[in-house]
Amino acid sequence: MNSDQRLPGNSALDAALDAALARVLPPPELPAQFRTQLTAAIASEAALELTLRSARPRLEREQREQLAELEADYMQLRRRTLGTLIGGAFAAGAAVAVALPWLKATFGPNAMLVLAGIGAVVGLAIGTASWMQRLGVPRLLRRF
Amino acid sequence: MQSAVASAASRDSDVVELLRAGGRERAFALLLPRYERKVFRLCCALLRDPTQAQDAAQESLVRIWKALPGYDGRASLSSWIYTITRNRCLTAIERRRAHAALSDSELDLPSQAAEAASEHELESESEERSAQLRELIDLLPERARRTLVLFYFEQRSISEVAQQLGCPEGTVKTHLFRARAALTALLKQRGLDDPSLWLEAST
Repeated sequence: MNSDQRLPGNSALDAALDAALARVLPPPELPAQFRTQLTAAIASEAALELTLRSARPRLEREQREQLAELEADYMQLRRRTLGTLIGGAFAAGAAVAVALPWLKATFGPNAMLVLAGIGAVVGLAIGTASWMQRLGVPRLLRRF
Repeated sequence: MQSAVASAASRDSDVVELLRAGGRERAFALLLPRYERKVFRLCCALLRDPTQAQDAAQESLVRIWKALPGYDGRASLSSWIYTITRNRCLTAIERRRAHAALSDSELDLPSQAAEAASEHELESESEERSAQLRELIDLLPERARRTLVLFYFEQRSISEVAQQLGCPEGTVKTHLFRARAALTALLKQRGLDDPSLWLEAST
């Protein structure tokens, strides 16, 4: 024992107590199987680490593939949407070109107003149908 | 504690060198014989249960092995190891508290243990004195008790205890002083303050 590490107090009781405490508080010995169990636990952790490390490139490749697939689907969807919009615009133009002489003959000066009204009704109908689909109204209606 | 930390750091410089060179396994092989006992003793002092201490020491060392490549050298290796161990023990204590709160039957365990101990025949007066002293140690406040226990586990090294508990040496000295004062008061209270009683018990 280092003298500078001795506890304060110089009485006979202090010295006797110090000796008694050293006796009743012996440093606990490591259990016999401690090192063996620890080595086994570390070996198991090492095996797990190795498995994870070897699986990592495969998991990363799979994730990259899935992301690429999603990206391709998204691009396809955008192209389809764009195609539908352009097709719809051409069809509407053609319909107006065909129907305009008849509308002028029927409605006279109000023909353009009627045409705009028809356009608004068709647009609102398409928009409402789309929102009803998105909010799941057909599913609700099917329940009843 | 500064000098103790500095000496621990210089002692572990070989481990740190190996770690920098990427030799985790060799570094751990060097570190293990130096710290396994200390880690186990710290767990024993904090947890007061040898079985739990063994589990906690093992888990702490596995964590240390796993985290070794990430050791950045900001704290000394010994402080880093003791911090991991203390945290593991605190988690175990929290779990034990939660478990005890859930299970009412466990509340009876200390009294059952006390009954079993009282039923057990003490072989000699010396053992009886030792048992009395252990009982008195258990009556001490937790911080004082764990400091006192570690102090004797670590061959009365205040700097080692300070490092293990992560507090300044002055705090350790204060806890030790209070623990000794409380023990002396308890001995006087029970009429056991005759030094010859303890000298006999310690031989």
